[in-house]
Amino acid sequence: MSKTKISIEEVRRLASLSALDFTEEELNSFIPEFEKILEFVDQVKNCDTDDVEIEYTSHKLATLREDEAKESSPQEEILMNSPKTKKGSFCVPKMLD
Amino acid sequence: MQDYDIVIGLEVHAELKTKSKVFCSCKNQFGSLPNTNCCPVCVGLPGALPILNKKAVELVIKAGLTIDSEINNLAVFERKNYFYPDLAKAYQISQLVRPICIGGHIDLKSRRVRINRIHLEEDAGKLVHSSQAIGTLIDYNRGGVPLMELVTEPDITSADEAVEFLTNLRQRYIFADVAECKMEQGGMRCDVNISVKPKGSNVLGERTEMKNLNSFKSVHRAITYEANRQIEILKNGGKITQETRKWDDNHGKSISMRKKETSQDYRYFPDPDLLAVEISHDEVETIRKTLPMMPEQLKERYIKEYGLSEYEANIITKDKAIVDYYNKAISLYKNPKIVANWLLTDILSKIKDEQDSQIKISPEDLARILTLLEQSKISRTVAKDIFAKVWQDSANVDQLAKSLGGFVDDDSLQNIVKNIVENNQKAVSDYHTSETPEKVFRWFVGQVMKETKGKANAQTAEKIIKELLK
Amino acid sequence: MKFEELSLLEIVDLLHSQKLSSVELTQYFIDRINDRKELNAVLEIYDDAIEQAKHADERIKNGFRGKLAGVPILIKDNILFKGKKASCASKFLENYVAQYNSTVVDKMLAEGAVILGRTNMDEFAMGSSTENSAYGNTLNAIDPMRVPGGSSGGSACAVRAGLCPVALGTDTGGSIRQPASYNGVVGIKPTYGRVSRYGVVAYASSIEQVGLFTKTVKDNAYMLSILSGGSQNDETSLKVEVPDYLAQIKGNIKGIKVGVLKEVSDAVKGLDVEKTYFDLIEFLKENGAEIVYTNMPHFALTLPCYYIIAPAEASSNLGRFDGIKYSRRSVTASNVDEIYVKSRSEGFGKEVKRRIMLGNFVLSSGYFDAYYNKAKKLQQKLKKEAEEVFKSCDVIILPTTTGEAFEIGSKTQDPIAMYKEDLFTILANILGVPALSVPCGKGSHGLPFGMQVLADCLKEGQVYNVADYIQRQYGR
Repeated sequence: MSKTKISIEEVRRLASLSALDFTEEELNSFIPEFEKILEFVDQVKNCDTDDVEIEYTSHKLATLREDEAKESSPQEEILMNSPKTKKGSFCVPKMLD
Repeated sequence: MQDYDIVIGLEVHAELKTKSKVFCSCKNQFGSLPNTNCCPVCVGLPGALPILNKKAVELVIKAGLTIDSEINNLAVFERKNYFYPDLAKAYQISQLVRPICIGGHIDLKSRRVRINRIHLEEDAGKLVHSSQAIGTLIDYNRGGVPLMELVTEPDITSADEAVEFLTNLRQRYIFADVAECKMEQGGMRCDVNISVKPKGSNVLGERTEMKNLNSFKSVHRAITYEANRQIEILKNGGKITQETRKWDDNHGKSISMRKKETSQDYRYFPDPDLLAVEISHDEVETIRKTLPMMPEQLKERYIKEYGLSEYEANIITKDKAIVDYYNKAISLYKNPKIVANWLLTDILSKIKDEQDSQIKISPEDLARILTLLEQSKISRTVAKDIFAKVWQDSANVDQLAKSLGGFVDDDSLQNIVKNIVENNQKAVSDYHTSETPEKVFRWFVGQVMKETKGKANAQTAEKIIKELLK
Repeated sequence: MKFEELSLLEIVDLLHSQKLSSVELTQYFIDRINDRKELNAVLEIYDDAIEQAKHADERIKNGFRGKLAGVPILIKDNILFKGKKASCASKFLENYVAQYNSTVVDKMLAEGAVILGRTNMDEFAMGSSTENSAYGNTLNAIDPMRVPGGSSGGSACAVRAGLCPVALGTDTGGSIRQPASYNGVVGIKPTYGRVSRYGVVAYASSIEQVGLFTKTVKDNAYMLSILSGGSQNDETSLKVEVPDYLAQIKGNIKGIKVGVLKEVSDAVKGLDVEKTYFDLIEFLKENGAEIVYTNMPHFALTLPCYYIIAPAEASSNLGRFDGIKYSRRSVTASNVDEIYVKSRSEGFGKEVKRRIMLGNFVLSSGYFDAYYNKAKKLQQKLKKEAEEVFKSCDVIILPTTTGEAFEIGSKTQDPIAMYKEDLFTILANILGVPALSVPCGKGSHGLPFGMQVLADCLKEGQVYNVADYIQRQYGR
């Protein structure tokens, strides 16, 4: 099996999906490391799973939570850990609509 | 335009009518102070876990049954991952592989529109874009409100059809009592996928998507605009780019959004915090039994069984509130035709005049008025007077009937006629001898009406006069 | 009296009989924690610990006999206790104060426990050495040059060093059993769903469980009965009755069918644990157990399977740390995109970033089927293989680690070497079955390691019975 290679563009795409930013230097060390990890997890490809259907753990509709409204948390408790709040809301710099 | 076919698919979101949110017990309520209907689950606090609301699943099943969907016997929830400040967990719990409802259709006047699916998901919070100084404010009250998304096949061919489809769908949801669909509150929103192709061609064109249209009017305008825009491009030899466009209702045009957003990779995978839901055939059938009649069925019944005109049936079945009113009234006063008559001429015209959709007379009161009228206890004029008074200040029908004097009961009327006959012996003999007794008879009727200030029931009065003149 | 030498059961007795006050006991452990600061096992002693102890004493005086009345307990830094910090050993959550109680904390409080403080860990439970903590690494309780294991290294070290009688951890791929092995204590990962995950900061939701460390198996059994039980706040928690695990310890192993996996027997060849592993099997046989030689053909793939599923879930679970609602916001961020990217890049450590990236890779379009779906299918295949094994076995015996604790810094530059630490522990997480590590032998440097007892789902009683026998009889 050929090794899974990963390009710098691919890593940038993953970083964007991850909302992470890497310096050029970090990226350069990241790629060989990441390829080693991929080589490691690529082992799963050795296993034939064609005969396996994904099964789900399930419960019956009748056992689900009844639709009853309960007391919510106090607003100040919801906001207490936020780095910035205004007017009872979480706050970020103005976004373009 | 006639050289091109327009191909439209809709994605319609509707908030479900539940008391609590879909994955927690916070109130599903519009208009509260920001972040007051929130808990660890719907704000996505670390360690919080979702717990599925049974009613939400049942309502989606019910919605599916109104459009002849198949109900999946195993429904699975997936995470749709993306970063946006209105999305507390950076993923939306939604359904991809095994939605609750599969397939279905709605028949429009011109064609059948096939439904691909309806799935259950959670709504996102609300962003308020304030001043530059204050910034954008995030309110998670709406976060976690149960939302069903219906996806059509691309079977719609015009803006008119799209609006007809949405009107029809909205009616079904409201009649089935699954969603209130309050457009102005964002309770029903629509994404439009649209492409154009040369007439008769089998090859679909590149499509664009317009998101979150929240009125039928803007759906109509947006489709018309976007179809024309695409046709113009093709006519000029250009190419359509697949993209998400934003409909700007104020300026009446669609604007391209950043292309980056259009190639989103949502990395769906089954939510490991939630179990799949087994839905049995029996449960589906039980829900089916609770399904009220849909507008088309009601229309048929009103015409065939109640003898209403198609016009009358159409008007009544347009609005669930009117249907409920009508059904209640005819259960109390069993002449559907007369009730329909009053409903259309008196009630609906009043509503129209007042521009207020509230019906200010109860079905009980209407039925009572109609009963008194039928029993000849009040005249038509008095009936209309009572109706107007009740509408104005919800007065008591029976008291009004008495005080308006409309309540000239048979005994009183008998006495009144008797007195008139006794005091006018000349006229009595004229009646028996005259060559035109009819004229004399009319005079007697006139006297009775004069005496009762027009409130006597004319037919009864005539009957009594005839008898006493014998 | 040296309270650190007492078992949990002995301590409960002393407290119930009021021969010892909770205040005295709590103060004793606070002093010990302060004396052993160099271990860096405990990140914070809650400032109201003594208050809690006073309250417990008051209740005991009034006749309250909760199963943990007055017992000081340490919790891992990813378990929420309302009003207290919970940082997951991350800079990103440095000042995060829990807004609600986890179910396990509620259960312990209901039994009168004193929640003493929080223990160090690998950031967001990602790691096998507690070297990935933003607050410095924890030392092995026995050898300060070595790691305590991870990710629940602080809790394991604390129990071994006698800083508390019992400590909670979480186990996603071995994060309780591996440090238990390295510190010579008992650690259990219960059946998936046995203990509610509500209020425990999620890393890999489908395979992780709350568990605990004690010095003895009996203490462990006593404690798990308290933590177990279905919760209305966790759909994945099992709504089944909780047995008295202590009562299921019978004191003998006659007729118990002990499974020995061929793949494991092959894998231990040449490892530090080899001799102990085979000796233990022999010992069990001599004492009445029936040894069943069986196999799980795909055993070797548990490790790569784990390193697909866990990062996938982690990449999604950690999205909520965005610098908006509770985690630290980058001071240089000037718009929303920057809040996300800068806060996360500054807030997360290297290993966390690596796993988020890996998770997004295996879930992204084009790779989903080849990795994530493949791993899920492989997991199902392994479950089927296990089903077969448990038809003929009551328990399975596995080493916990390949040997004794490794030296600090020796694996930090090689992620794969670090991942391979979980070779024997991941099976239980992939299968969702209970697994316990019991101290069993010593490596070439005289440091301890443990052996694992696994059983089928919800058979914790069987695990405790066998493990208790091993702890009391083996090597005597």
